[in-house]
Amino acid sequence: MNSIFFTRLFRLFILLLFQVLVFNHIHLLGYITPLVMGYMVVRMHRGTSRIAILVWGFVTGFLFDIFSNTAGMAAASCTLIAMIQPVLLEMQVPRDSAENLIPSFSTLGFWNYAFFVFLLMAALHSCFYLLDAFTLADLTLTLTSILGGSVLSTFIIVCIELLTQTKKEKTHH
Amino acid sequence: MRALINFIIHNKHWFVFLLLEVISLVFLFSHNGYQKSVYFTTANDVVGSTYNVISGITSYLHLQEENHDLEATNEQLRKEVYEMRQQLKAMQQDSVKRLPALPLKYDVVSAQVVNMTLHKANNLITINKGEADGIRPEMGVVCSRGVVGIVYMTSSHYSIVMPLLNVNSKISCRLRNSEYFGSLIWQRGNADIAYVTSVPRHAPVQKKDIVETNGYSDIFPPGLPIGVVQKIGDSPDGMSYFLRVKLFANFSTLREVSVITNYSSPERRMLEDLTENPVKQDSVLISQEKQKQAELEKAEKMKAEKEKAEKEKVEIENIANTDTVR
Repeated sequence: MNSIFFTRLFRLFILLLFQVLVFNHIHLLGYITPLVMGYMVVRMHRGTSRIAILVWGFVTGFLFDIFSNTAGMAAASCTLIAMIQPVLLEMQVPRDSAENLIPSFSTLGFWNYAFFVFLLMAALHSCFYLLDAFTLADLTLTLTSILGGSVLSTFIIVCIELLTQTKKEKTHH
Repeated sequence: MRALINFIIHNKHWFVFLLLEVISLVFLFSHNGYQKSVYFTTANDVVGSTYNVISGITSYLHLQEENHDLEATNEQLRKEVYEMRQQLKAMQQDSVKRLPALPLKYDVVSAQVVNMTLHKANNLITINKGEADGIRPEMGVVCSRGVVGIVYMTSSHYSIVMPLLNVNSKISCRLRNSEYFGSLIWQRGNADIAYVTSVPRHAPVQKKDIVETNGYSDIFPPGLPIGVVQKIGDSPDGMSYFLRVKLFANFSTLREVSVITNYSSPERRMLEDLTENPVKQDSVLISQEKQKQAELEKAEKMKAEKEKAEKEKVEIENIANTDTVR
C-alpha cells in the first residue's frame, strides 16, 4: 500500500519536472503543446478506488496549474480523465485478467493500449484547450491544438512506456 | 432512507468528482481577483525561485542575441547623445537663458523574465521583481525594443505580467506621424503580430507607420514604440481601420525587461476615481480633510520639538560660555 503510494509520488514528481521543464516548451507548429502529466492517471491500475484516482488526478493537475499559471484548467481536465479512466480500462481489458492489472503494452496489447492512451489524452486536451480558449469562435486553432496535442502526447507516453520497459527487462537479466 | 444512503455510498465517486471539478472551476474563474490567488501561480516564492534557477541556467543560450540587442541600443543611444550635445551647444549659444529642463518623469526597475508562455490564449510572463522592489499591479513593462505589457499580479519578490500577447490585453496607442489613436489588441496564433482597432477611416495611415503609446492612460508615458504597421485592413463594420502590426518586442527571446514604477500618479487616479463613483466623493473629501489636519498637527509638533531643541542648545552654549569665562 505504502510502496504504491511512494511509487506514485515519485512518478508525479518526475512527470511534473519533465512537463514543466521540457514539454511545456514544445510548441509544434507554434501552438501544439503536449500535456504528458496525464500519464499519472493512465498508469492507475485496475481496481484502484475511484476516489483515489480522482484525488491523484486533481493533485497532478493542480500542481501543473501552479507551475504554468493556468489556474484550475489542468485540475479540471485531469479530474475529468480520472473519472473516465476506470470505465475506459474496463472496456479495453481482456476477459479473465488480473484484478490489479496495470495498463501497459504487455497487459493490453500494443494497439489496445495505444487506443486507451489516445482516448484519455483526447479528453484531457479537449477539456484543457476548450477551457483555455473559452470560446468556440477560433475553433480550427483549438481543434488543431487538441488533435495535435493528443497525438503528440500519446506518442510521448508510448515512448516513455517503451523506454521504461526495456530498462526493466535489462535489470532483470 | 436506507435506499438513499446506499445510493450515496454507491455513487460517492460522483460526488467527489463534482466537488473536485467545482474547486477547479472556482480557481479558474476567481483568477481575476489578484492578491487572493497569487499563491497558486508562478509568483509563489517556491515556484518563482525554481524558475529563477532554471532561467539562470538557460539564459546563457540567449546571450548572443541579447548582446546584439544591447549593441544596437548602445549605437542608437550614442547617436542620440551626439545629437543632444549638438542641440545643447546650439541652445547655450542662444543669448536667452532657458528654463532648466524638467526632471525625468518616470523611474524604471529592471527585471528578468523567469517564465513565460506564448502559445495560449491567455499568455502570462513571470518576472523576478515584486512588491519589495516597488512593483505594483497596473504598472507598464517595456524592453529595449518596445512595450511588453502590464503588471497583473505581484507577490513580494515576483510579479506576473500580462503581455501584449494576451486576448484580454488592450492598450491605447497612436500612430507616430498622424497622432490618430486606436487600441491595440491581440488574437491567438502569431507571437509577433497584434492589431490596432478603431483608428478612424479618415486618418492618413501608411504601411511602415510606427505605432506608439499615446500617454492617455497613466500606465505608459507617451511615445514608447510598440510596433510597425504591416497591413492596412478594414474593421468588420467598415467604420474604422483594422491594422496588422508587427510588434517590436521579440517575445520568444525576451529576457531583460524594465518596469515603469512611478509614472502613474496617485493624484490623477484619485481624481478619475472620483468622477467614476461620485458617491465616494464625500468620504474622500473627509479623509483628505483628516489627512490635512494630521499633517498640520504633525508639522506643529515638529516645530515645537525643533524650538525645544534650539532652546536646549542655547542653554548648553550659555553654560559652556559661562564655564569658559570662569
